[in-house]
Amino acid sequence: MILPILAAFIAGTLIILSRQVNGRLAMSTTPLISSFWNHIVGFVFLTLIGLVIGGLIPANLAEMPWWIYSGGAIGVVFVTAGSWLITRIGAVNSTIMVIAGQMVFGVIFDLLRGQPITLWACVLGVVLILAGMALTQRRP
Amino acid sequence: MPSIPTQRYNPLHFLAAFASGGLLTLAVFVNGEAGRFGGAMFSSWLAHGVGTIVAIPLLALVWRDQRRAAAQASETVGKAPLWGYLGGIIGAATVMLTSTSVNSPLALAGTLALGLAGQVILSLAADFWGLLGLPRRRLDWRDAGAVALIAAGSLLIILFGLGAA
Repeated sequence: MILPILAAFIAGTLIILSRQVNGRLAMSTTPLISSFWNHIVGFVFLTLIGLVIGGLIPANLAEMPWWIYSGGAIGVVFVTAGSWLITRIGAVNSTIMVIAGQMVFGVIFDLLRGQPITLWACVLGVVLILAGMALTQRRP
Repeated sequence: MPSIPTQRYNPLHFLAAFASGGLLTLAVFVNGEAGRFGGAMFSSWLAHGVGTIVAIPLLALVWRDQRRAAAQASETVGKAPLWGYLGGIIGAATVMLTSTSVNSPLALAGTLALGLAGQVILSLAADFWGLLGLPRRRLDWRDAGAVALIAAGSLLIILFGLGAA
């Protein structure tokens, strides 16, 4: 059990590390150029691993809905925005505001999709998040 | 080491970061569906591939501005270190780690909760020390309060709010 716990925790630190690295590249270039490099380097890296391990491309590729391809397009905008923002509001503010947005929109998204949610926990969670967001805007 | 002055934040930048979290919700959903078809590695590979293909025409569209801005940036800040180009490898490695833990007893909720802890801790360290050449930021009680509230609210949603019951 210790291994998956470490994997999940380290994955979280790597999210911040890559935002920091992409942000550094963006400082010397532009956020969009940095996002391009992030995607092409990741793509080449994963292609190489796929060539070694094999079985990267699933047989049922044709059955996938068209919108499955939109994830990468959204990712380009997300990574560009992340690099642009981290040099302006810093790592902590970027992290908590992105998580806040992910959670609040996640709850709305699941509501709209008719997924089962536990209302009290979602409402209380969103209230705590909004309170935290308000606190970032208070003058010191 | 440059540092960001605490008082001069633009609230719109916070709003933009919040909105980008909404984009992340969509991307995670879409990539999760791609993962159901072909596994986590395929999903990440597809997202990076499509991202590359989308970024090229975007860059081409504004290339003159981008080239000028990049030249100006590297003149004032200096050239980017080589490791600056490795963000994509870190992102790809993240997918491998999360796909391991999602398929363990931790499941998605445990993976998200522990990942949140990892994100908060490293970003605190990143601001405190100005890791990897980014600006340092002085952290104060507001940062501590905001982190605590948002982390608590998020854990509540992850562990008790979504899915179950």
